[in-house]
Amino acid sequence: MQAAVGTAHVPHGHIHPPPDTFIKKYIFSQDHKVIAVQYFITSGLFFVLAGLLAEMMRAQLASANNTLLSPQTYNEAYSVHGSAMVWLVIIPILTGAFGNLIMPLQIGARDVAFPWLNMFSFWLFPPAGILLFGSFIWGAPEAGWTEYPPISLQQSFGTSMWCMAIFLIGVSSTITGLNFLVTIIKMRAPGMTWTRMPLFVWATAVTAFLSFIATANLSAALLGLLIERTFGVPFYDPAKGGSPVLWQHIFWFYSHPAVYIMILPAFGIVSEILPTFCRRPIFGYKAIAYSSVAIGLVSFAVWAHHMFTSGLAPWVQLPFMIMTMIVGIPTGVKIFSWVATLWGGNIRLTTPLYFVLGFLSTFTFGGITGIMLASVPADVHEHATYFVVAHLHYVLFGGSVFGIFAGLYYWWPKMTGRMLDETLGKIHFWLMFVSFNATFLPMHWIGLEGMPRRVSTYDPQYQDTNLFITISAFVLGASMLVFAYNAIKSTISGREAGQNPWGARTLEWMIPSPPPYYNFEDIPVVLSGPYDYGKPLPYREIKGDLSYMPLV
Amino acid sequence: MATHAITVDDATYQEVRDQRLLGFLFFLISDVIVFSSFIYGYIYLRSTVMAWPPPGIEPAALYMAGVNSIVLFGSGATMHYAMEFFKHGDKRKFVGFMIATIILGIGFLSGQAFEYFNLLHAGTTWPSSIYGASFFTLTGLHGFHVFIGVIYLITVLIQAQKGVYTQQRYFGLTAGALYWHFVDVIWVALFSLLYVWK
Repeated sequence: MQAAVGTAHVPHGHIHPPPDTFIKKYIFSQDHKVIAVQYFITSGLFFVLAGLLAEMMRAQLASANNTLLSPQTYNEAYSVHGSAMVWLVIIPILTGAFGNLIMPLQIGARDVAFPWLNMFSFWLFPPAGILLFGSFIWGAPEAGWTEYPPISLQQSFGTSMWCMAIFLIGVSSTITGLNFLVTIIKMRAPGMTWTRMPLFVWATAVTAFLSFIATANLSAALLGLLIERTFGVPFYDPAKGGSPVLWQHIFWFYSHPAVYIMILPAFGIVSEILPTFCRRPIFGYKAIAYSSVAIGLVSFAVWAHHMFTSGLAPWVQLPFMIMTMIVGIPTGVKIFSWVATLWGGNIRLTTPLYFVLGFLSTFTFGGITGIMLASVPADVHEHATYFVVAHLHYVLFGGSVFGIFAGLYYWWPKMTGRMLDETLGKIHFWLMFVSFNATFLPMHWIGLEGMPRRVSTYDPQYQDTNLFITISAFVLGASMLVFAYNAIKSTISGREAGQNPWGARTLEWMIPSPPPYYNFEDIPVVLSGPYDYGKPLPYREIKGDLSYMPLV
Repeated sequence: MATHAITVDDATYQEVRDQRLLGFLFFLISDVIVFSSFIYGYIYLRSTVMAWPPPGIEPAALYMAGVNSIVLFGSGATMHYAMEFFKHGDKRKFVGFMIATIILGIGFLSGQAFEYFNLLHAGTTWPSSIYGASFFTLTGLHGFHVFIGVIYLITVLIQAQKGVYTQQRYFGLTAGALYWHFVDVIWVALFSLLYVWK
């Protein structure tokens, strides 16, 4: 298939010579697909560790005044659990792993713009994890994943390790963001205009922008905390004239956009899976794409809603309350577009779609409690209770993690070349969906009744509910074993996937599974949008040239 | 590496150069954000007290920083001329202006060291107060950027002498110049906020 595209220069991206040694191929690889798998494996390991910390906490909370964990160990467990799940699991999997694996394939590129930086960015990540979990040796941080001063200034050396770990992750995230955004802007296949990009690429572009803009703030805040802890330089310590609220401002100026770094790629995954299994164009392509941009921009103007009990003036609180509720509008646009895509679709109930449907119900629920928490009077009541714990897990577990599993089941055949078992996948889904809701739904009630978060004991009146939650949490943890078994089974004896097992239309399915080293031997030319089910495929190819490009 | 570059055709080089330029601009933006966070911290801390600097703290002198600013802005001018002469193929003047830029950069760092010495001597140390914390962190972060810039410009000069850059392909040089001007611009903000703002 040779298409005439005139004499225009055909971009083919960076091409580095194929690796010849084991180390270059699997350890210090610059191939975006190998780096993606490295991210999956490393984050998966941290997911297990951070999940075990959660199970430890639930074991402690099985009965009131339990003494299984000391209060100090309990504090360390929830602080490292939160930090690890946010920075070592969800962000690296959604950007580092899915972004690396799928985005270059979907835009028809042969790699990301800066492969060496991509490798460097990954290799900042395992040391960060080792520092974070290694902090237990000196006493891990105990002030939660937010590490508010002045408590974080008074803790042992483990908190300095926490600072270094998160700083490394921050630098890694900044580099990846910059790399992805340049890739998306400059390396799209010929004919792939912005409005012909798959929605996952849109989501990744906005996430990349947030990563390198917002994360730089986190780096600055952490640098300040580390300097203050090490040299006693006053930024945050009120005893020396500093301000603890300053930390909260800079931290949340990063960490609220970080919430969208953790959910926008999941939105992208959902937007890919729905049209594939509904066999119809996605409803409201532009509405979904532009609402991602709107969410990204508004996310910079809502940070103080985390600080309604920090003594801000009412005239400061009010605009933040309104802005926070405004985020619900572009998010609602997405939810309705997805539901409208399902409406009248020729639905194929595969495992990825199960997880997407799970995502839609749980994430919407978490979004609604988010609007409740945005309201200042309600927040003052609910702040630092289990209601907040329930809300954030509905968003980050019910949203991000369900999205991650949907994406894993969807792209696993592309990544490995083998199918996962559908029956096991559905068992995994039902176990996870039911036990997830059984774990986190009751937390809303005990939270509203006043059970505080981040305390290792509680009033005996919450005993029964907590025992129920603990049992559900163990089932939730066990449900992950089904996925692990499925993954191993697929690797050993999974059915060959072939090029396009789901009959999807985006570019990654137009090449063999797993993709060859250069992804596209012939350069794809994109003629229209990716979701026009029922029409001929919108791609043609022009003969590529596979010469290497050594660069100065 | 230089010999490889010749094997890449012009359109491909242009494409890669554009990617690197955009990537470098994004890096500079994220660096601006880092400075903005610290500047925000400074303004925030300053707004919590009545008098600035807090009573008993000896502030940095305006005239000293003024001289240093002239040195740094001068280096921005020489950097600009170095680039122009490189583009026009005047190798000798390019080297001259590069060396001038590097010397002015080192001059700025020396001036800053002298200023630090005076302040520390007067008892204004880094941990002494929120003044010391803001002043030394911001100027120190900037000084660190100037230091990196000097190292980078020296590297670029050596590379240029080795013939790595041609009149058509000199992204390393462009990046160095952009970075140097960026450091200048940051200094404008820091000079106004830390010295001029009373």
